[in-house]
Amino acid sequence: MRKHKKHHGTGKRTQPPAGLGLEAWRIRIESLIASGKSRDAVEAAKQYLKHTPGPEAEALAVKAYAARIEALQASGLHREAQAIGALVRERFPAHQSQVTVLMRQSEVAAGNFDALLAELVTADTPRQRELEAILARGLTEPAVLAESPVLPADHPLKRMARAVSDALTAVTTGPLPAGALASLSDIPRHSLLAPWKLLVRALDAFYRHDDAAVLANLSGIPADSGPARLVPVLRRLVGEDGLPAERSPAVTTLIEHASGHRTVARIQLSQLSQALAAHDERKALAAVQALLPLFRTAPTALRRTFLVSVLHHWHRQGLSPDRLLRLLPSGKHDPDMLRLLALTLERGEWDTALAMWDGYLTTATATGLLSTTGPERARVLLHMANLFPADPEAVLDTLEVDSEQQLQRRMRTGQLPACFDRVALLERARVADPVPQVYRALVAHYDQWGNPKRAEAEAEAWRRVHPQDLEPLLYLIRAAERRGAIRKALAFLAEAEALDRVHPEVRQSRFRLLLAGAERRIKEGKSALALDDLERLVHEPRASEGDHPAYLLALRWIAAQQRGDTAAAAQLEQTLTTTVANPVLRGLILEALGASLKVQLPPFPAAASTPGQVIDGLARACDLFRALDRPLTVPAAVLKRAEQSLANASAAQLHALCAGGLWMGRPALTYHAAGRGLALSDPLAYRFLLARGQALCAGRAFEVEERARACLRVGRELAGRARDMEAVREASTALDSLPDWGMFDAVLTGVLSPPTETALTQEEITQIIERERRNHTTPQFPATPTSRKRRRSKPPRRRLPRGLLEDIFSFFPFDD
Amino acid sequence: MDPFAVLGIEETADDEAVRAAYVQALRTSPPDRDPEGFRRIREAYEALRDTESRLALRLFGPPPLANLEELLDAFPEERRYVGPGPWLNVLREPRR
Repeated sequence: MRKHKKHHGTGKRTQPPAGLGLEAWRIRIESLIASGKSRDAVEAAKQYLKHTPGPEAEALAVKAYAARIEALQASGLHREAQAIGALVRERFPAHQSQVTVLMRQSEVAAGNFDALLAELVTADTPRQRELEAILARGLTEPAVLAESPVLPADHPLKRMARAVSDALTAVTTGPLPAGALASLSDIPRHSLLAPWKLLVRALDAFYRHDDAAVLANLSGIPADSGPARLVPVLRRLVGEDGLPAERSPAVTTLIEHASGHRTVARIQLSQLSQALAAHDERKALAAVQALLPLFRTAPTALRRTFLVSVLHHWHRQGLSPDRLLRLLPSGKHDPDMLRLLALTLERGEWDTALAMWDGYLTTATATGLLSTTGPERARVLLHMANLFPADPEAVLDTLEVDSEQQLQRRMRTGQLPACFDRVALLERARVADPVPQVYRALVAHYDQWGNPKRAEAEAEAWRRVHPQDLEPLLYLIRAAERRGAIRKALAFLAEAEALDRVHPEVRQSRFRLLLAGAERRIKEGKSALALDDLERLVHEPRASEGDHPAYLLALRWIAAQQRGDTAAAAQLEQTLTTTVANPVLRGLILEALGASLKVQLPPFPAAASTPGQVIDGLARACDLFRALDRPLTVPAAVLKRAEQSLANASAAQLHALCAGGLWMGRPALTYHAAGRGLALSDPLAYRFLLARGQALCAGRAFEVEERARACLRVGRELAGRARDMEAVREASTALDSLPDWGMFDAVLTGVLSPPTETALTQEEITQIIERERRNHTTPQFPATPTSRKRRRSKPPRRRLPRGLLEDIFSFFPFDD
Repeated sequence: MDPFAVLGIEETADDEAVRAAYVQALRTSPPDRDPEGFRRIREAYEALRDTESRLALRLFGPPPLANLEELLDAFPEERRYVGPGPWLNVLREPRR
């Protein structure tokens, strides 16, 4: 928009300075012209001319007028410039030539070339140069010269302009044949059409994808020449910077038309990313609005990727989705949009996501997108059931109920939607498609919710429907083993072996069951029978794996001792020592067996151990007892030595100690082993971070829980990048078990809306890893593993905004 | 990004069609000459190789892109011939 400067109080300044001569006037007027105050200069010159008429005052006035005309031309006010020019020519005919050059410029800018060209034909050389300079600046279309009726047909300028005009049309219309631009060679470098020649060559290089040649040709175009305004546009089209963000309509249209959608998409996607990173919702919405037309005609898969990615990043930045959803096509009742929204919300708000999926099921069925039965429906229902947290208490907390019974009651009375009934979802999935995944989920559900009988019943049902499936049998074996029904377990094992004898899980079950039988005989004092069982066990394929031979030797040594066979015991003692080759592991196995079998063992010869042996022995013991699912008790002295010797541990040993520490309920061991692991440059470092977070979950202090949360979030992020989904699930489960103190803080500080988990930046990830590497202080861990019941003392995640005061008061123990 | 587009097949393609498209795509981008292209083809094939994978993609896909600017890959590098008009219009526009 053109701005008209308001003229303020110039009269006082342009009064003729009393007593000053011509020189003082000239200096003053020149000074005003030099400082760009052409209007003041004209006023001063007029005053001076009025008081001291004469040729010198006239010359000074014309100079001031010329400055004024130039200023108006620079502002694009050519009509005003022409009016002043006409006035000057009329009042000062002696100075006509001085103004005429300027007038030509205004005429050219207004699109009137005839007068200039007519003068150009007859002008002398110096005048020609002046006129050509005006033409070079003002010519915005070479066809004007090529088709000018004023220029003679054989005028070199007309001929060259025709060549440029034809070349410009040809180069922008289609691929050029070789030598098509040869006619441009006749245009000399000093010609006013030389910048046009460079422009045509740059365009030719642009369409030939020779970007270096584009830039080289553009660099030769003078900044004040006619085609110069295309220089930044072409630079932008070849991926260079320099074009202002705010563009004219013509530039925008050219970019869109000449480059397809790629350039526009690049600009808008970059702006969207920046706006999201800056939490600038207004700019992000503008970018999405600009991008929508590009994706509207895109293939369905691409359109979905665009929508789900925008929704995902929007959600991760904690921006409100309302305005975004209003912008997006279709809306909340479009099944595909509901599906994408549900997928977006799944990670942070499982209950909202579940409701969205329920909406998807309804609308997709109504629109015929989804049939009322079949694998697709079953997959969706199973997916919905899998959204529930593994911890039943987390489910009850989120749904604001105290028990499963209350949850059922609320669903029956319609206070909660039926989609929160996980079992019902799984039953519906089973009806839609009774695949093993559904049975697996049902068994796991009843296991998690503390109903082993129902879990076994579901496994039985699974076995009936899928008789060739090993998994329900393996589950039933373990379940029977857990409740001491070894005979029943062996019967299931026989069925499993009939299906697949060499399956590793079947072999493992067989080994475990036979082991349990031998252990029971030792417990019962039937050492001879135990030795027979153990003799048979030695021939099992699993018996030779890892440290299993050592475990069996230890059992045989105990049985031989129990039987009083000292010679055999001495021989077994020797073999055990040689096989284990580690006094610490030998001690741990024997102590653990003595405790679990409740037998008094004779003292085993003590042997000194090195720090390396302590680490090796404990790591191997953790792996062995975890694999056999047998309890391991580690003496405090061994644990202390292990924690002091961690510097000698390899990455594999540290991973074993991390897992073993958690399994044994020794978070301090896991904490230290994970810390040492983080100091190594191990590709599985995220597992150490996850282990440290899991260990810190057992800590008591608020700061420790915050550290745990940070470690688990970083661990989950890095595991996700490494596609280690098991680690992602472990981290999510551990995060779910942490109290939501952020919500409590929000209440205390008056922030009612729940705090949103924002995305971790790479810088934050690095900082958290560094902090944990440096932190060697042992937090205070409870003597026994923390009960999950502790979670119930924290304020529930979603109850606060609804019953704020009640929750605050319930948190503090007020006495009436 | 879009596994169907990478392999050049319809969303209704069956196992056999997916396999055939995969083998065909590998000919143009063998791992030794075009490792990046091979990676994309391999990922697309993994996403579509059987009915179960295709069903999962249909119901629970597509996964969101970690970087929004990856969407740019969907737009090919184009240089369209538009005639002299749009170019000259930029020059004809009044100066601001």
